[in-house]
This record gives sequence, structure tokens and C-alpha cells, in this order.
Amino acid sequence: MGYVLDGQSFDGLLSQLSKEYLIYAPVRISGKGAYSDTDLVAYGQISSLDEIEYNEKSRFSPKELIYPITQTLFYFTEDEYKEPAVSQKSIIIFCRPCDVHAFRRLDEIFLKNGDFRDSYYEAIRRKTVFFILECAGSFENCFCVSMGTNRVEGYAALLRPGEGQVTCDVDEHFAPLFARYGKPAGMTPRFIEENSISVILPEEIDKNIFDHQMWQEYSSRCTACGRCTVSCPTCSCFTMQDIFYEDNPRCGERRRVWASCMVDGFTELAGGHGFRKDNGSRMRFKVMHKIYDFRKRFGYDMCVGCGRCDDVCPEYISFSGCVNKVSSLAGEVKKDD
Amino acid sequence: MTNPYRPFKAEILSVLPQTGIDFTFRLAADIKVESGQFVEVSLPGVGEAPISVSDFGPGWIEMTIRRVGKLTNVIHTLTPGGSLFIRGPYGKGFPVDRFTGRDLIIAAGGTGLAPVKSIVRRFYKNTAELKSLTLLAGFKSPSDVLFRDEINIWQSCINVQITVDGDDTGEWKGRVGLITKLISGLPKIDVQNTEVIIVGPPVMMKFASQEFFKKGIPEDRVWVSFERKMCCGLGKCGHCKIDDTYVCLEGPVFNYTAAAQLTD
Amino acid sequence: MDINTKKIIKNAYRVTKKRGVTALRIRVPGGRLDVGCLDVIKNIAETFGDGTVHITTRQGFEVPGIPMAKIPQVNEAVAPLLAGMESAIGVEIADLNHGYPAAGTRNVSACIGNSVCTFASYNTTDLARKIERLIYPNDFHVKIAVTGCPNDCIKAHMQDIGVIGMVLPVYDATRCIGCEACVKNCLKVSSGALNMSNYKVKRDHQRCLGCGECVLKCPTSAWTRGEKYYRLVIMGRTGKRNPRLARTFARWISEEAVLKITANMYGFIEKHIDRSLPKEHVGYIVDRAGLPVFREEALQGVGLGPLGRVEDYIPFGGYENR
Ligand SMILES: Cc1cc2nc3c(=O)[nH]c(=O)nc-3n(C[C@H](O)[C@H](O)[C@H](O)COP(=O)(O)OP(=O)(O)OC[C@H]3O[C@@H](n4cnc5c(N)ncnc54)[C@H](O)[C@@H]3O)c2cc1C
Ligand code: SF4
Ligand code: SF4
Ligand code: SF4
Ligand code: SF4
Ligand code: SF4
Ligand code: FES
Repeated sequence: MGYVLDGQSFDGLLSQLSKEYLIYAPVRISGKGAYSDTDLVAYGQISSLDEIEYNEKSRFSPKELIYPITQTLFYFTEDEYKEPAVSQKSIIIFCRPCDVHAFRRLDEIFLKNGDFRDSYYEAIRRKTVFFILECAGSFENCFCVSMGTNRVEGYAALLRPGEGQVTCDVDEHFAPLFARYGKPAGMTPRFIEENSISVILPEEIDKNIFDHQMWQEYSSRCTACGRCTVSCPTCSCFTMQDIFYEDNPRCGERRRVWASCMVDGFTELAGGHGFRKDNGSRMRFKVMHKIYDFRKRFGYDMCVGCGRCDDVCPEYISFSGCVNKVSSLAGEVKKDD
Repeated sequence: MTNPYRPFKAEILSVLPQTGIDFTFRLAADIKVESGQFVEVSLPGVGEAPISVSDFGPGWIEMTIRRVGKLTNVIHTLTPGGSLFIRGPYGKGFPVDRFTGRDLIIAAGGTGLAPVKSIVRRFYKNTAELKSLTLLAGFKSPSDVLFRDEINIWQSCINVQITVDGDDTGEWKGRVGLITKLISGLPKIDVQNTEVIIVGPPVMMKFASQEFFKKGIPEDRVWVSFERKMCCGLGKCGHCKIDDTYVCLEGPVFNYTAAAQLTD
Repeated sequence: MDINTKKIIKNAYRVTKKRGVTALRIRVPGGRLDVGCLDVIKNIAETFGDGTVHITTRQGFEVPGIPMAKIPQVNEAVAPLLAGMESAIGVEIADLNHGYPAAGTRNVSACIGNSVCTFASYNTTDLARKIERLIYPNDFHVKIAVTGCPNDCIKAHMQDIGVIGMVLPVYDATRCIGCEACVKNCLKVSSGALNMSNYKVKRDHQRCLGCGECVLKCPTSAWTRGEKYYRLVIMGRTGKRNPRLARTFARWISEEAVLKITANMYGFIEKHIDRSLPKEHVGYIVDRAGLPVFREEALQGVGLGPLGRVEDYIPFGGYENR
């Protein structure tokens, strides 16, 4: 069902929704970019339409709202493990089509992989509703069309912000509320059908590619900074940390904190033994996870083509460029056979 | 929703020092374990780590823990009556049923003996279940030898060969040399009817397996156990992943043919 | 030829090797200029000079080969530069047609700053222009430069007043993944002010240089930029007598405090300069009057804020040539 809401009505709607939901959207945080006098676009709580940063891609993805960077799993005294209370409120996340697809990938790991469901993730995930921000145009480095993540179906709401108003396509559940604040309007969702970047995904990857010299280039270029994985909406790795309180060492917390296969220490074992010490092999491991390993396990690719890895790499390493290199090699290796 | 990260408290029934840095802890725990599986062991505020179950029985499990860092240092200060927190068991163990009626050769390097101890204990008494059992174990030095008491008992029933890389005590009467020497020195193997388990540090596993292949053992009769960094044991944290394989789910025990496919 | 050399020197000309020939120094506050000004400079060099310009250490231009007799015409030709680079930024120039009204206080130079450089903590061009507005025209011999960060590309340490950009790093522990990139980098390239404790980062403010390297290295924006601050290094100099690097006088102070201390320094010179000398460089005045006197007068009416810190004693060092 389509509706159009002016700014004020939309804010009224948000204020109504906020009684039941915590509402998050990409926002511009002034002066918080890494370089001085630049802004950071990241997810934050909003109460008005103006706060939504619609014209720029967020540096960080919305995954941190459901899967926080630092998450306390237990509070403990010496022999009791207590779980932290979870907020009763549900969550609305305004995000792009690719980001919604990314949550499906996270679901695969946290709710399905192995025999157990991750209760922390699930507690927040099951209360989350996505409001899709329609993309007016493809951003730099996006390749969602190649990844098939440009379209979304079965959303709660899809919004098209315009001059002082928002046109929305809403499901049955939210329709009455939108009807209260807006006017009926025709709304046919428009999805991005073309990106300036496209990738070709290799169907089969010969083992030879794992040892191919193409990865050596990244050994010298990549600095193992981890930005690509931190900003990626589909990376899900974490490390456990136990801490004790400085003022009361008998009490403490068990936390999990995001980890990155690009960063030192990810595979380190007792005695300093580790795997993939060289950055080129980390690049290979990451890229293969995104376009091959995950698919072998779950039947579809992990990467959603948001392009954030390319946006944030300080060394200007292009993930999509690398995928295309792998594909052309995969073709060659096949021909050689 | 059950919380898969919640551990339970398990009382320490006994602590048996094996070497200066390896202690065996027996815990009261009523869990069903397969040989080769591991549990996540933790102490609140200190940390959590994957540890192989080295032996188990009704109402108890044993783990042989080496002191290497933050958590294991503190665990080593604990005494009977104290407790540890555990969750699990996790992972795939050894396909013990497959071994029945066959010749089983176990090659263990150092602490690699821990995850296979329960297999030796099960079969050394019931030798009828197997055609034969051979245990080859290599340690760095005489002071690193694990499960001495058990080895003495096993020796009376099965073929046990122990070697050390070097003798720092001057009192070692046994063999000196790498475990690969023990393997090459084995009498003729009935290759069609033998299963091999190799557990130890990566380099040891690599050379030991090559030695067995030289003897004509087919790759699919060799079983190895991998050690990788692990933070969950549940297929969530991603640390143990190699290619599309999660060592905590599909491993730590792998058939050699599967293990050989994995590229770190 | 009868020329008052004292007067032309104050007019930004100099006596040169060749009798009757002078060179003109053109100020470029902040070292940034509209390329339109280059046309004017080119025209002066071609019309009155020898067709070349020299780029000075202080980010100005020197036009050599000008006949002294042509000074009045050159001064008229300079008007668009005064208008474009001085009046335009708010410097009061009484008469645009008489050339530079003073030359003692040198051009305020600046590193490229945060319009380009990733390290810079602030817009150096803007601050240089604010300082120019505050202190020019003035005959006292003073050298000032501003630099975006403690890398000090402009060599603030060679100035009477060097302004070094700082930023207060703000830490959000919940965003930190414990990668230690900031800790390792701070130790490697900066001051070793960071260390890990309980898997999170602790910053030792006493050691922190405010360089912002931690912010630049952090993959998650756990470190972000807080307030802008400045460090003042003072009384550095080259020259014959006792050359030395400037040393830190104040740190973690605001832009307002920087400007006020700079203005106060001119009051200090006014009060203590030895007028029997043809000119006296501020560094030597401070040596003579003593740092405590300078300190007291420079800080008059200056708000240091909660973080501001001023040195009580500065071991200047340097060396004597005699
Ligand atoms: C499946 C499996 C079975 C294991 N079985 C045993 C066993 O039976 N007995 C035994 O003594 N040890 C075993 N380990 C190794 C044991 O988990 C580590 O020694 C332990 O994590 C060290 O923890 P710590 O806090 O004492 O050391 P830390 O202070 O955390 O670290 C010391 C060193 O160990 C590394 N390390 C950290 N976490 C792990 C980890 N999860 N796995 C391996 N290394 C790690 C660190 O990077 C560091 O280099 C096993 C590991 C795995 C994966
Ligand atoms: S790999 Fe890059 S393009 Fe793909 S989902 Fe992650 S950040 Fe986006
Ligand atoms: S790319 Fe690396 S950090 Fe990201 S999910 Fe895969 S293994 Fe984890
Ligand atoms: S962002 Fe670039 S440099 Fe940093 S780890 Fe990723 S690929 Fe390497
Ligand atoms: S001083 Fe700092 S800000 Fe200025 S150019 Fe050098 S590095 Fe950049
Ligand atoms: S760089 Fe950022 S994420 Fe890494 S340790 Fe420092 S503050 Fe934490
Ligand atoms: S140990 Fe966490 S995924 Fe395997």
C-alpha cells in the first residue's frame, strides 16, 4: 500500500513508532570522521526525517545494532553467570536493500550453522523490523546487481525520501499507522538495476587459485588493518574476552568482541604458532569466504555487493577488482585443464 | 531460548600432574562424550578455552591441560574440591566403531596423546574388539612424557613404543629419535585392514602421515585431529574456519582425505 | 642616488649586491594564494624585475632585479596583491598604493593543513590568516608559523611562535575490537601514550601529543576526534647567535588562547625591547628579560581551560658560536 507523508507527518509517525520501537537509521555525525573536519556516516537513533542521511552510504553497516561490537554475554561473581537483560523494545532499522540481504547471511551463521542458535543474536534479531531506504542511484563501489541483492521482497516498509516528503510502500501490519499520518499515493518500488561496477562470480574454483601468485600483490599492499571486515555487513567473526573489574576483581564479565581474519592474532595458538601470517593469504581467505566458501556451505554467496570494503580500504585495494581477477583466472585454469 | 554459551559448574575430583606443565584434571560431569571431542573450559573473569576430553566414564571426564597462558595458568592452581566451568562436548570425535576388528595404529606427538587416551584405554583391555593396537608416542624429552602410569599398564597388553627427541636427564633408557623413526620401523602392515590415528603438532602430523603412506596405508584410513584457535565451539566465532570447514563442527577429527583438501 | 634605506626596508625592499637595484618581498599569509595573484607577481617581475622570482623559506615570493627608482611604480603594481592577500582576509592596510606597510614581522607561514593532509588537526590556512590579521602590519622582528600536527612540516620549531595542531582523542570502549593498531602505532610513530588493559585501551594524557594517529588507525571509529587544541612552541631561531629549536611553552590550549598569547607577545616586545639597537629579535629579548617575565605577561588574560598546561621552566639549549 502506498502513502505519501510530508516531513512533519513523518516525524509524527516516528514519534508514534518510538513508543514501541527503538528506531535507527544512517545519520551524519559531525566532525567524527577520521580526518579533521569530516563527518562520519553511521547508524544512530533518530526521531526525525531530517536526521536520516540518505545521500551518502554509511561507513559502518547496521549489523552492529543486532550484533554489537562489544557484547556482554555474562556478568559474573565468582561462581555465578548472569545474562544481561535485553531491552524489551522492538527495533526498526532503516537500511538499504543490500543491508537487509546481509542480515540473512548473519542469520545463517548465528541461527543455523552448527547445532545451536546464538541466543544473544536471536533475542534482538527476532524483534527487528527493516524499513528499506530505496536507493535513488548506485553509490561508488556498489555492485549489488551482480550479487542479486539489489531487490527486496516482503519488506515491512520501503521509503523513497524526496523534497520535504517521503513516499512509502508499506505492508499490512504498518499500513493503518501510515494511513493515519499520510495520504494514499501510488508507489511502485524502484530498485537499482545497474551499477557502474560489476563482478563476475567464478562458479568453480580450482585449488590452484589458492596458491596462485596473484595473492602476492596483496601481501605487500594490504596492511592487515581490518577496515574491510569491520565495515562489511556480512562479517560475523568474534573473539571471547573475560574481564574483571579493576575495583572488584572478584566480579567481571565475559564479552564477545568483533574479530577480523585480516588482523594479526586471528589464528594464533599457544606458542605463537599461527596460520596465514602473510597478508596476501588473509586477503585470499577473506575473498574466498565471501564468494566461495560460504556458497559451498549455504548455497549462495556471502558478499552482498555493498562496496564498503572498497570504500574504506586505506590502501585502495578493491575487493570487487580482486573477485574479477579470481574469475578470469578461474576461467583460465579451467581452459588449461 | 537456551543459551549455548552458558557453562555449568563442574567439581574437580582430582588433579594429577603428568609433567611440570601438564596436569590431568578429573571433573564430575554427566555428559556424553566421544573420544576426540572437546569441551570449552572456563573460569569467570579469566577466560575460556577449548580442551580435549582425554578420558571419560560415568559421571566424570578427564582433561589434560598444559599451562601456556592466562587461563591455563590459573587452572593449574586449582585443587580437588574446587571447580571449573564447562560447556560441550563439541565437535566430531574418532569413528571408533570403524576400528573394530582391525589393526589400529595410533601415533601421538606430545600433548596429542591426550585426545586419544580414552581410545587406548577402551581397547587395551578389550583387545578382542580390535585385531591389534599399536601406540607410538613421541615427546620432546623424558620429562615431557605423559600418562606414565597408564603407559606402564598398557605395555603389558599392547604394543607401546615411546621415543623422545632428546634426553636431557641422562637417565632415559628408552628410545631417542623422532616418531617418524618408530613408524618406519614398524613391521609389515596389513594395509587393507589397518586404521591409523595421528595427533600432534602440525609438523609432526605432516611427516608422520607421509611415513604411513610410504608403508602403503591408503589416505582414507588415516585420521588426524586439528588444533585451531577457537572462541565458541559452536560454528559462530569463525576463528577455526578453514575454507568452508569449521574445525569445531566438522572436526577436530578429520579423515586425512578431507584434511588434505583444507588450505589455511 | 639618495634613498632612505631604512624606509625601503620597512616597505619590504632590500639593499642588494648591485647598487641601485632592489628586490621586493611579497607576503603570502598561510602560504596559500589564489592563482590570480601569480599573474600579478609575474607582471611585476616582467615589467620591473629581471623576469624571475625566488620562492622564500617563509612561503613568500621575492622579485629581484628591480631598479630602486621604480619603487613608486612597483608599489602601485603591488596594490592588487595587498587587496587580494591582505585586505581580503581582514588585514587593515591604510593605503593600498604604497606597497607593504611593514616588513619586520614576517609572513605567517603554514603547512598545507587539513584542506589536504590526512594528519592535520585543523585548517592551517585559516589560522595563519587570523594571526596575520592580528599582528600585521608590524615592524617588530617576529617569525610565526602554524602547522597542522606534531609532524611539524612547516618547521614551527624554527619560529618565535610555532603553533602545532592537537586533537583530543575520544574513546568509545564499546566500539573497540582490541586490534591494538592504535597502541602499536602510537608507540611506533608517536609517544607511546596508549596501552591495553582488560582488552581495552587506556590513554595516558600526560604523554599524549594529540597527534590523532590513534583516530587515523582505528578501524571501527572507537577513537574519534574531540575538541581541537594547540601546542605553542616558542623562541626557536636560526642566525649567528645561539641558534636553537623552539621548545614547548603551552599545550592543550584553545585557538583563542593562541591568539591572545601572540598578541601579548607584541606587548611584551613593546615593553622590553632594547631601543638602542637597530632591531632586536624577540628571542633575545626573552633571554634578557627571563622566561618568568615573559610567561607572566604572555598569559595575561589568557583562559587556559581545564586541559591547558604551561611550562614553568624551559631548558632552551642551542649553542653559542663565539
Ligand atoms: C580442539 C582443541 C583441543 C585442545 N585440547 C587441549 C588439551 O587437551 N590440552 C591443552 O593443554 N590444550 C588444548 N588445546 C589448546 C588450548 O585451547 C590452549 O592452550 C588454550 O586456549 C590456552 O589458553 P590460555 O588462556 O591459557 O592461554 P592464552 O593466554 O589465551 O594464550 C596463550 C597462547 O595460546 C593461544 N590461544 C588462545 N586461544 C587458543 C585456543 N582456543 N586454542 C589454541 N591456542 C589458543 C594464544 O593465541 C596465545 O598464543 C586445545 C585446543 C583446541 C582447539
Ligand atoms: S565483501 Fe565488501 S562488498 Fe561484499 S558485503 Fe562485504 S563490504 Fe560489502
Ligand atoms: S571474511 Fe574474515 S572476518 Fe569476515 S566473516 Fe569471513 S572469516 Fe570472518
Ligand atoms: S581494508 Fe585494505 S588494507 Fe585494510 S585489511 Fe582490508 S584489504 Fe587490507
Ligand atoms: S605538519 Fe602535519 S598537518 Fe601539516 S602537512 Fe605535515 S603532516 Fe600534514
Ligand atoms: S585501533 Fe581502535 S579498535 Fe583497535 S585497539 Fe585501538 S581503539 Fe580499539
Ligand atoms: S570455534 Fe567458533 S566457529 Fe569454530
